[in-house]
Amino acid sequence: MTMLSGETVLEAIVLRKSYGRRVVLDGVSLTLRRGEMVGLLGPNGAGKTTILSILATLLRPDGGEVRITGIGAGSHRYELRRKLGFVPQSLALYQSLTPLQNLELFARLHRIDRRQARIESMQMLEEVGLVERAHDRVATLSGGMKRRLNLACGLVHRPEVLLLDEPSVGVDPQSREQILLTVRRTADAGAAVIYSTHYMEEVERMCDRILLIDRGQLIAEGTTAELIGRGGRGPLMEISIEAASPSGWYGGLAGVVELRNAPFDGRMVLQLAHPAQVSEVLDCARAAGVRIVNFALHSPNLSDAFMALTGRALHDANAD
Amino acid sequence: MPRAAWLVFVNEFRLLARDRVGVFMLVVAPVVIILVAGLSLGNVYGVAAGQSAYVVPIIDDDHGVAAHFIISALERESAVKVIKVDKLDLARAAVEARDRTPLAIIIPAGATRSLETGGVVQLELYVDPVKRLEVSAIESHLDKLCREINMRAQGEFHGKLMQQDAIVRHQLEQADQDFATAVQRYQGQLRKQRKTVEASLNAQMKGILGQFEKEGRATIERSTADVKSALTRDIASRRDAVTAVSRYLGALQASEREFDNWFAALKAIADAHRVHLPPPPTLPASPPKEELSELSKPILVPEITPAPTPVLPRLRVKLPALPPPPRLGLPAGIGSSIALITSSFPGYLGWREHPITGDIAEPNAFDQYVPGFGITFLLIAMLMAIGMGLIDERDWGTLHRLRVSGAPLLGVLIGKMSCRFIIGLLQMVILFAVGRGLFGISLGQNPLLLLIPTAAMSFAAAAFSLVIACVARTHDSVMPIGAVAAMVMSAIGGCWWPLDFEPAWMRTLARLLPTTWTMRAYNDLMIRHVPAVSALTPTAFVAALGLLYLMIGMIAASKLYD
Repeated sequence: MTMLSGETVLEAIVLRKSYGRRVVLDGVSLTLRRGEMVGLLGPNGAGKTTILSILATLLRPDGGEVRITGIGAGSHRYELRRKLGFVPQSLALYQSLTPLQNLELFARLHRIDRRQARIESMQMLEEVGLVERAHDRVATLSGGMKRRLNLACGLVHRPEVLLLDEPSVGVDPQSREQILLTVRRTADAGAAVIYSTHYMEEVERMCDRILLIDRGQLIAEGTTAELIGRGGRGPLMEISIEAASPSGWYGGLAGVVELRNAPFDGRMVLQLAHPAQVSEVLDCARAAGVRIVNFALHSPNLSDAFMALTGRALHDANAD
Repeated sequence: MPRAAWLVFVNEFRLLARDRVGVFMLVVAPVVIILVAGLSLGNVYGVAAGQSAYVVPIIDDDHGVAAHFIISALERESAVKVIKVDKLDLARAAVEARDRTPLAIIIPAGATRSLETGGVVQLELYVDPVKRLEVSAIESHLDKLCREINMRAQGEFHGKLMQQDAIVRHQLEQADQDFATAVQRYQGQLRKQRKTVEASLNAQMKGILGQFEKEGRATIERSTADVKSALTRDIASRRDAVTAVSRYLGALQASEREFDNWFAALKAIADAHRVHLPPPPTLPASPPKEELSELSKPILVPEITPAPTPVLPRLRVKLPALPPPPRLGLPAGIGSSIALITSSFPGYLGWREHPITGDIAEPNAFDQYVPGFGITFLLIAMLMAIGMGLIDERDWGTLHRLRVSGAPLLGVLIGKMSCRFIIGLLQMVILFAVGRGLFGISLGQNPLLLLIPTAAMSFAAAAFSLVIACVARTHDSVMPIGAVAAMVMSAIGGCWWPLDFEPAWMRTLARLLPTTWTMRAYNDLMIRHVPAVSALTPTAFVAALGLLYLMIGMIAASKLYD
């Protein structure tokens, strides 16, 4: 994590976007500072890809404005794009070309001269661990290698703002680690990064700040701890007991509620107000004659906060 | 397994029902192609009178019955519409400019007279070599017409011939009889004349032979007498010599006896003095040699002078005047009969071709199909490369990445289209080279000129592919929509069959297609061998249509992709 003291490089002000009567973005605003890495979370269809597309100037918002280093996307799109790095969710690669050729193409499109493009491309290949496959066709690479190359293509021109749309989806742990490492280095080098993903642990681990989007609106923003706190849920105590117990045997404990109680299968889950209540729960059980075989305590995490904030209902109907 | 098979079977139908592209390819695409082909080629199998008939300009330089008959016959053909023009230039212009006008016909001056007198009349056909099939279609009508005219003339001639044949035959038979009689009579006269001449000759020969005999006998007698006289003289001289010899021999015999006596006496006397004996007496001298040689001379029998060869006197034969031989002339009327026949020999009506451009061009099918199918596959290749390629890039995300990388959509599209434009150009160049190498197609007077319409078509095809990419929108639908569009454009545009096969409304529609103008430019350069400037107009149309497609495609693409 870096110190969040850099200048603002990206501003999105009250973005709105609709497809017909379906509102995809409804007044989303965000800012991004140099060297800051922001996680963009939200259920499927929440509007994450739409936000990234608007920020990447690939999609024009119906309302609102995007500014990068003070340059408005409306009037200076091409100048603005040169400051951007975009890593789409799909493998946006030329499969019949080599990794080096792909990188050189995108580098040269960013007005890097031929010689420098070769140097930058080889450096990127080294960073993502693909030097040895530099001259093989992309089609022959593994899924993880393609993901790494996909990332490299968005970084080859050393952008000031990096937009990542699920860059690690479907890869093995080693490749994911390499991708995360590369992204972190990029942010540490001063780029502002927006990282959209469904992998909560990645965001928890990597991002300085999290934006939670749902139904086209920014419903929460803050650090991981802040969001978990806003999730409003205490630690969960999962208990296995020998036989059916009298209901409400934990009733005397303030803030303790049972999340799951029927049909009884020998287990029950209690939400506590704070971790110190574990011993109180065990005492109550003993007093009530409930025989606890074992128990486990789960501290709330980002995933819990995500579920708490976005709800448990499926969101696919509104997919973007 | 049967259950699985059944479920898969049902599921396939369900999938197909939701596959609009599949259904399109199954039904709509073939129906569209069949419709276009059917409407295009409808005229090949029949044509309504006056509606889409071939227009045939005719120049009547004959103004006779034959010309009238030919024109009337052509006018009765439902597939042909005749227009009369005065000058060849007008006819040529009509062939060059008008639709469904594949050739012009000139009926030469004097055709009627020539046909009436058994001459050969050739209709002059000025044909557009590009419209080979249409020309052939009209030529088949002309063939039929010429055959009819020739057969009719031959029929009439045959009737007259049979009639005159009977007359001449009768006349010849009569003449034959007359001639036999005359010959018989003539032979009798000749026999009589011969007898007279023979008698005259015999009498003359008898006189001559008598004279010969008399003269010969006198000559022989005279010669015999001469011989006898000569022999007598010879024998007399020899007789004197013989007498002298005889005398000598007598003297010799006497001397011999004296000698013998003398010698005996001598011997007796001399006894011991024999050595002192005198020489014996001398013998008489022998007759002179000349005399003796006379005896040895052969008796010369004088030659009998042969009688001189009698000179045969010229026989004088006065031949009597021969009777006139029988006349060998043909019957009096036969000349007019034969003249009548020869004068009514049927004439022959035919035709011969001249290319309308004045240049020799013998196109083969590949002159049509190499550029035609070349254009079709150029369109399809462009659709795959640009239409499908653009959608693929959009789906892969590379299009977005290109744009985020600072490449304007216009730049991306121009880059893509420029590359494919050059590849399309090369594709056509290779096809033309293969066509030249394998099929011997004509590349015109200057093959480099073909690059002009090829470049325009490659550009138009690239731009059209962009339009299709915007219309189809999905990878799966580009090919069916694009392929059908390409095939329809090719078919209507005259790439697969001559444009003139198509009905009028379709030909009008064809003017809006680049394929039509490109084929026209190719035909002008490759087959008609027209000056290069003539190919510029159709090329300009192709380029203009390409620009139109480009504008539409760019606007649509900017809305869809930008």
